[in-house]
Amino acid sequence: MKKIGLLFLLLILLPPRIQAQEDAFHYLDAIEKKYTGLKDYTAEVRVHFDIETFKAPDMQARLFYKAPDKLKVESKRVFFFPKEGGYFNPSLFKKEDFEIKFMEHSIESSRKVVKLKLTPKKAKRNIQEFVLAIDPELNLIREMDVTQLDGREIKAVIDYGKFDGFELPTHIQLRIDIPSFETEGVREFDQLIQKPKRVTGTIEMTYSNYKVNSGLSDEFFKETGSSPGKERR
Amino acid sequence: MKLFWFETFKTFSRWRTYISFTVIALIVIITEVVMKLSAGEIIYRMLRPFQKDFLISGNILNAWFVTAFIMNSLHIHIPFLITLVAGDIVSSEATSGTIRFLLIRPPSRSRIITAKYLTALFYTAGLVTFFALVCVSLGLPLFGSGDLITHHYGKFDISFIPESEIPLRILLAFIAAIWSMTVVTSIAFLFSTIAENSIGPIIGTMAVVIVFLVLGNLPLDFFRSLKPYLFTTHMMNLWQQFLNLPIPWEEIVRSAIILGLHNACLFLIAFLIFRRKDIKS
Repeated sequence: MKKIGLLFLLLILLPPRIQAQEDAFHYLDAIEKKYTGLKDYTAEVRVHFDIETFKAPDMQARLFYKAPDKLKVESKRVFFFPKEGGYFNPSLFKKEDFEIKFMEHSIESSRKVVKLKLTPKKAKRNIQEFVLAIDPELNLIREMDVTQLDGREIKAVIDYGKFDGFELPTHIQLRIDIPSFETEGVREFDQLIQKPKRVTGTIEMTYSNYKVNSGLSDEFFKETGSSPGKERR
Repeated sequence: MKLFWFETFKTFSRWRTYISFTVIALIVIITEVVMKLSAGEIIYRMLRPFQKDFLISGNILNAWFVTAFIMNSLHIHIPFLITLVAGDIVSSEATSGTIRFLLIRPPSRSRIITAKYLTALFYTAGLVTFFALVCVSLGLPLFGSGDLITHHYGKFDISFIPESEIPLRILLAFIAAIWSMTVVTSIAFLFSTIAENSIGPIIGTMAVVIVFLVLGNLPLDFFRSLKPYLFTTHMMNLWQQFLNLPIPWEEIVRSAIILGLHNACLFLIAFLIFRRKDIKS
């Protein structure tokens, strides 16, 4: 009798969870489909740092992206560009690469929001998990929380504009909270038992002058040349 | 003034004066060539705390960075090279037996000691200026120009100085470095006034500099509380402050005054000792 009861309970509980999982896949699928036609883009990016220990003027560069994961940055001057959350890559969240958990539906700033937790199936770039806040009506990632294995936490808040039929970021605000491990220099006697200090702050990235699907070649991303002002990923 | 030029001529007509300039040129050339050859390693070590979080591009290892990097070694090799002349400038007269001839001539002892001190300061300024010229004139063709990134090794702490501001800041930093190094000159000069040979003042000055540097860097509360009162702290801080964002003028003025007071006191003691120096025995 107990076994039948347990089975009955499972039958009641299981379908909604499977349903929720399917929905979670559906949201990522919708985003992937929305950007299927996006082969590459080029944009001007201006980066503003507001971190106490990172005293830098605003930096400007030209950013080149080609699906699925090619990135190149060109700048005449020294340029620091945030690796996680700094640029828009619609191919980043392929459903087959993650364990996906539906978290909640909510309303934020009078917009419907769905939150998903993505855990990489294979260890990749130190990422522990992503939490995405997705606008299910426009199929846009509005917010992204990145937690890394070494305790780094990054939150990206993304605003979009429409360029050549694609909604692409016009502004990304990154809030960073990272441990600052001191690797060299004179150590204090009690330093080894102290917890690492955390560095917090925001990085604002403003994108403009998008050129979409201009046919960037793979060779373009391989070029390093002699110019020190280029960085590829 | 005539005495000063006479002393300067005398100093620069000795071959040993040029040892310092040759050593400086060799150090800078070797350092810059090695830095050019191991650029990748330097950038990796320097930017390690940032590489996890940022894609980094641009000419980071430029002439200004290399100059600032080499300037960081000021507190070890430049003081030694300064003492070679400043520690010898008075004591060599005793060693070679010329002090009696010098002091029985019409110029007063006060004028002689002042002229010698000014010559030692002139030599110090010349040495640091030469150091600056070699660093920049070799660095620019080797590494090119660019924004200057200053950082604390191993820490997530970085400052960017735009390329347009750097020449003026570097110029001010070198002027500050000259001012800092004059304290080493004054110490060596004082010892030179006391001693009868040149080795003592050179070793004595280096011992003072090293002891003060060590005391200032020991990670204990007692020594940490002592640090603001050590001349070596201000000697190192003064020029480095010109590469901070924003430039902390108050700290610069305070350090410059403290170093200036050191100079005045040390020269005054040397002056009084020299005036009462017994040359009969």
